[in-house]
Amino acid sequence: MNRAIAPVAVVLGLVGIYLSGNDYLINLGVVCAIYTIPAIGLGLLFGRCRQISLGHAAFVAIGAYVAAITSNEYGIDPWFSVLLATLTGGLCAWAVGKLMFRLSGHHLAMATLALGMIVHTVLVEWRSVTGGPDGTALINPLVLGSVDLMSDRAFFLLGWGVACLLLLASDNLIRSPFGLGLRVVGESESVASSIGIKPNALKVAAMTISGGLAGLSGALYAYWLGYISPDPFNVAFSLKLLLIVALGGYSGSWRLLVGVFFVVVISEVLKAFGRWDTIIFGLLLIAAMLYPQGWLGGMFDQFRQSRQATAGDKRGELN
Amino acid sequence: MNNKKVLLEVKDVDLSFGGLSVLNKVSFDVRGGEILALIGPNGAGKSSILNVITGFYTPNAGQVLLEGKNLVGMSADKIVDKGVVRTFQAAEILFELNVRENVVAASMKEMKLFAGAIGMGWKYGRPSRSGELADQCLELVGLGDVAERSAAQLTAGQQRLLAAARALATGAEILFLDEPGAGLNHIEKELLVNAILRIRKSGVTVVFVEHDLTFVSKLAERIVVLNYGQVLAKGEAEAVRTDPKVIDAYLGNTEINRRRDNRSERSNRRLLTAANLSASHGAVQALEDVSLHVDEGEIVSLIGANGAGKSTLLGCISGRYRPSQGTLEFAGRSLRGIAADKRPGLGIALAPEGRSLFGSLTVEENLMMGYFSQLRRSGLSQLIAPRGEHHRAMLEVMEEVMTFFPKLRQRRHQQAGTLSGGEGQMVNIARALMSRPQLLMLDEPSFGLAPQVTREILESLPDLTRKGVSILIIEQNAKAALQMSDRGYVLVNGSIVAEGQSNALLERADINEAFLGWQESTESEHERVSA
Ligand SMILES: Nc1ncnc2c1ncn2[C@@H]1O[C@H](COP(=O)(O)OP(=O)(O)OP(=O)(O)O)[C@@H](O)[C@H]1O
Ligand SMILES: [Mg+2]
Repeated sequence: MNRAIAPVAVVLGLVGIYLSGNDYLINLGVVCAIYTIPAIGLGLLFGRCRQISLGHAAFVAIGAYVAAITSNEYGIDPWFSVLLATLTGGLCAWAVGKLMFRLSGHHLAMATLALGMIVHTVLVEWRSVTGGPDGTALINPLVLGSVDLMSDRAFFLLGWGVACLLLLASDNLIRSPFGLGLRVVGESESVASSIGIKPNALKVAAMTISGGLAGLSGALYAYWLGYISPDPFNVAFSLKLLLIVALGGYSGSWRLLVGVFFVVVISEVLKAFGRWDTIIFGLLLIAAMLYPQGWLGGMFDQFRQSRQATAGDKRGELN
Repeated sequence: MNNKKVLLEVKDVDLSFGGLSVLNKVSFDVRGGEILALIGPNGAGKSSILNVITGFYTPNAGQVLLEGKNLVGMSADKIVDKGVVRTFQAAEILFELNVRENVVAASMKEMKLFAGAIGMGWKYGRPSRSGELADQCLELVGLGDVAERSAAQLTAGQQRLLAAARALATGAEILFLDEPGAGLNHIEKELLVNAILRIRKSGVTVVFVEHDLTFVSKLAERIVVLNYGQVLAKGEAEAVRTDPKVIDAYLGNTEINRRRDNRSERSNRRLLTAANLSASHGAVQALEDVSLHVDEGEIVSLIGANGAGKSTLLGCISGRYRPSQGTLEFAGRSLRGIAADKRPGLGIALAPEGRSLFGSLTVEENLMMGYFSQLRRSGLSQLIAPRGEHHRAMLEVMEEVMTFFPKLRQRRHQQAGTLSGGEGQMVNIARALMSRPQLLMLDEPSFGLAPQVTREILESLPDLTRKGVSILIIEQNAKAALQMSDRGYVLVNGSIVAEGQSNALLERADINEAFLGWQESTESEHERVSA
């Protein structure tokens, strides 16, 4: 029953925002949905499996550009381009994982950091395809039947519909045998091998899922904005995603939303700081690492523990 | 018994690291349904051969044949699927999971992505039965009652039982247990012996590494003895144990033959006084109103079951835990508010349970870390590069410590993380000695050590006291500890229930029964062996 509380509360909150009709809130809501989707994948990879990706923005960027280019240049149906973006994101992540997990140690962090820079450079320099630093506009909109999904309101529903479904699936997944396997691998790879779990297979799977979700989010972002440039897919974006996962208690499920809301609100506040936000998000990430249960989650656990302790004392008195 | 079929055959296995040959043409076989013990001195290569068989190391030459099929070159998880499963010498419990999850992770086998995402992961196939199987395995080792606890709350002994249950839950046909009994008291060992017998009865072949010969003789039908990476002897248990070669190289005389005497030399100056200490871990009260003292030059032993609070007590003295009540006084000065990292500088050293070495540093560097507190006292620049007299003093202490553990001298430049279990324990104790403590606290020094080495360490304690060191020791081998100490305290459920002169404690019938039972039988065992 407890499991139902978080999703129901979230959905009620979202319906509230939608019905409020406040354009600013709805716009922020779309941004939140777009952050939530890649954060779910990173929650599995970083939160459960303890593999750090410092360049997750790259997979989001790949998704956005694949969607834009395939639909602009090749006239592919926009929905199909979203699917292609998801698959490409997953494929790239799979390849990186395959290469990097053959080595032990923290090579993934290094490799993804490098990947982030490479992708960014390619997007800026390969003007003929990507449009260079000025970016590129999406010609064809996403439509459902005869409804144009480009408005904030329509996208709010689409984005959160997808995000909630994925949260539900991810919540199931982390409670499943697969999720247990990820935790085992995250804590000790040699123990995993000693009980017949293939550490590399699971790590590559988590990497692929998270790359796919990042690609999906990138494509949705591209259609929503109708225009993309390399700029948003920077290190700060990758750090924000990690921060979301850390603030959400590394859980990969509904708790992530605590991190998402916090990061989106803070980003609004920090807009005034321009480039300095990278440093601020880095510092926040360090602060978040100090509370492994997530900020809110940690406080909640402490509260519960203290209640349990006093309840225990009372029981002691009775005996 | 001998007509059992050969299940696994180890053939001419060679293994070396750099120039160091660890295994040299090792051959033996494991027969279906038997219990086989693998014994030998520290660093003989026992864990290494387990690592080779289970796919964690690749040998330079040789074969491991499971019913005729070579396992060498297969990945570790594939070998598990073939039914060949191991535990680790260091238990390797997953502390972020609860006890049951530790075992379920081993029994679930299938991790379907799609089924998991739609919430059906546990509904069909292997995973649907994994919970039940896990509970059976936990029951089998006697951990059924603590299944829902966090694995981090288990005592050292329970962790080993959990490791065995976890390995079993994979559906193992041959189970390799690396020192399953290390750190267990005699009651827990009795439990483990029964668990292993039950495991065998369920059709599983068991191979185990162990230093406790009573344990070995209670279980093993056949024994393989390794020494310096070679098979020294193998065959029926009885024959191997009486083989003069084996007695010479490994068993030797393990009876502690020096009793503690010459008390007259000692002053009666108090070194450490603990008064009315209480401490708790979260909601669990670990110590309650404990008072004890150690005089200068005295050896004091602390006995009691696993989980009685012994390690917590040492933790309070070393500053790792903060007592909730009571006072600690060391050399006339209160320890309140003195941080753990400052206490070695005062002369308090702890060789903790379960080692905790700096795995990527060499043996020598680990020992230097033990001297850190001395260097810090002589100024910051010494920390950057020890020079002159300080450097000389450090090398001197290191020499002294290495004569204590000659094996470490050979391994000076090896990374501590790659040492054998016993060698690691030697470094652990040696590092504590490096700070030239006034009070040396040893938490289960015999953990993972061959009987002869244990005896040597215990017998050398009086020599240390002559150099002015006082010793507080926890030891599962309670009898040996009491024999070597002046006084003892008995801790039960966090409280001291008995204290007194060691001789008196040794003679008390109730204490004998509760804590010395296993060791009694060790003695009779040795009489049998040497007869
Ligand atoms: N990866 C490695 N690199 C270098 N030396 C190693 C490595 N692994 C093991 N050794 C050495 O090989 C020898 C055999 O080690 P092993 O762990 O097999 O001993 P063991 O018989 O299990 O001893 P113990 O009873 O102390 O656990 C030791 O001297 C150890 O230092
Ligand atoms: Mg070993």
